[in-house]
Amino acid sequence: MIGRGHPWLSLAPALGVIAVLFGGGLALGLAGSFGMGRGGASGDAWIAVLSEGRVWRSLGLSLWIAFASTALSCLIGLGAALLLRRSFPGQGLARLLFQINLTIPHAVGALGILWLLSQSGFVARLSAGAGLIDGPAGFPALTQDRFAIGIIAHYVWKEVPFIGLILLANMQSLGDDPESAARSLGATPFAAMRLVLLPLLMPALIRAGAIVFAFSFGAWEVPVLLGQSAPTALPVLAWQRFTDPDLAARPEAMALAMLIALVSAVLIRAAFAGRNR
Amino acid sequence: MKRMMTGIIGALILAGGAARAQEGDALLEMSWEEIVETARGGEVNVFMWGGADNINAYVSDYIGGRLEEEYDITLNRVPLTDTAEAVNIVLGEVEAGATTGAVDMIWINGENFRTMKQGDLAWCGYVDKLPNAALVNFDNPAIANDFGTPVEGCEVPWSRVQFAFAHDTARTSEPPRSIPELLAWVEANPGRFTYPAPPDFTGAAFVRHVFTHVAGGPDALIGPFDRAKFDEVAKETWEILNGIEPHLWREGVTYPTSITQLQQMFANQEVDLFFTYDPAEVGTAVVNGIFPETARSYGLSDGTLANTNYMVIPVNAANKAAALVTQNLLLSAEAQLEKAQPEVWGAATVIEPDRAPDEVQAGFAALERHPSVVSIEELGQAALPELQADWTSAIEDGWIRNVGN
Repeated sequence: MIGRGHPWLSLAPALGVIAVLFGGGLALGLAGSFGMGRGGASGDAWIAVLSEGRVWRSLGLSLWIAFASTALSCLIGLGAALLLRRSFPGQGLARLLFQINLTIPHAVGALGILWLLSQSGFVARLSAGAGLIDGPAGFPALTQDRFAIGIIAHYVWKEVPFIGLILLANMQSLGDDPESAARSLGATPFAAMRLVLLPLLMPALIRAGAIVFAFSFGAWEVPVLLGQSAPTALPVLAWQRFTDPDLAARPEAMALAMLIALVSAVLIRAAFAGRNR
Repeated sequence: MKRMMTGIIGALILAGGAARAQEGDALLEMSWEEIVETARGGEVNVFMWGGADNINAYVSDYIGGRLEEEYDITLNRVPLTDTAEAVNIVLGEVEAGATTGAVDMIWINGENFRTMKQGDLAWCGYVDKLPNAALVNFDNPAIANDFGTPVEGCEVPWSRVQFAFAHDTARTSEPPRSIPELLAWVEANPGRFTYPAPPDFTGAAFVRHVFTHVAGGPDALIGPFDRAKFDEVAKETWEILNGIEPHLWREGVTYPTSITQLQQMFANQEVDLFFTYDPAEVGTAVVNGIFPETARSYGLSDGTLANTNYMVIPVNAANKAAALVTQNLLLSAEAQLEKAQPEVWGAATVIEPDRAPDEVQAGFAALERHPSVVSIEELGQAALPELQADWTSAIEDGWIRNVGN
């Protein structure tokens, strides 16, 4: 059945699920942000959210987390993919180790970062034991810190293999031919990589980067475990509003969630547009 | 496609189950024996904060086991990190017109109960049906009011708790024993104290202690919300809390975000004082090896907040009969005694022991508490009533705006 007939017809079940589950949630969230479903519609929640300094500070923090995590993941993921594509003894094992953390849930990874990097964590205790610092508390604040280092460290740890794997698959389908051709025309290995391979990889890198960006911008579990108490990442703020016992805060929670979706969609659209120009 | 089919079939099964839902009014017409017969063979979905293993085990194993054995009822415990999540589910269902909800019972109090009562989300008026309700003194104001909101038969009490502090006698031999002493102690011991940032429940309760201290005691704050009074007290409270900020953990640049985090920091000796709304927790932490044997909980000379927590049945609960049987079992003298055993939970009872059978009375009299847990009598000598929910939410908002930024 699938594969025959009009493509739209074959796609209908998948599109239907996306439209109902994803589009429906979005529509309900948008309606909720205007206070619909509890008598009448008003833009009060949006006005309250957009005129609140805390929201803008949270937005700034979330943008910083998402940009820094995406840039570092792309850079390291690209480097790792370039190294791993060459054949060398033990390559299979190296690839396995590289991708092993893909299956670990984000919340578990974040707890691992906490045990490792917090001021009462493993590294802090080792440093104190080795006499490098006076006590575990003398360890620099790497979690619940102002620059969200713990959060970014987690995302980079988690997303580097993701980017790397997508690029490896992409390089496999490109094959060695474009680079070989460039080499035979006199390009140095570095020039062949920079001028031929990288531009060919760019679309895949931007796509993978967009996924990483959208996730690190909109996810809640990592900043709630590793983040400061204020400002909180935007999704944490939205969750706090959603679980506020005061029901009047719910439209604000919806407005915040819509803001997250909107900012993320606009930025990703801009990244694709910049590429296609 | 296959997945979709499974989804549709699942939805049909759910709809079929919904048809069996019991109408609350019909149940209230029945005798207790008829209610028990209706409940037999069914299930009950209990939504409750799931952060303590011993509490989870008590509900799942002891209560769940007895329900299964005596009534053939299956108890499904659904763990929450925040009770408001369950309230949100009920609210969403009621808004959508779903008359057979997924939530049969919620462990609740304070602001969340006020929300349920205000939104007509709580099922009311069934308490007289429970035979074991006779063990409870509903005239006691501490039971008849939930954070200042009249209970009025819309929820059933479960446990009493009172806020307490904790210290490690090996590290801090003389802990501060009042709010003014604590404020001075914080300044003298920089970096050794902090509190979880509201909206964390326990962190918000700590802030209320300072607020009550500034107001000169709880009497000034009893009754409905008073904006002028609030502004006056709040201004000074924020000054005090901002004043101690440089002496807190990490110079107050950030605060722990949950009470669990503070517990770990105390265990890791990052801070010297811990506090909890459930002193039995300190004993549990010692038994589990999280806190040292030398950890002790204690009260304050100027009093600590006390409250009662409850079980509420949502107005659209699908399994009301089973929920009633569960509530009756939770209130039974044996279950309350089991819950009070220090190795089980150590939670203070809401029933009047002298209304219970003799052997249960003897059991209560023979309770041994863990040496790390402050005695209920000692704590109870200085108990502060909780503020009304309007006060507590104004204090939380004010802290976030003026101190937490």
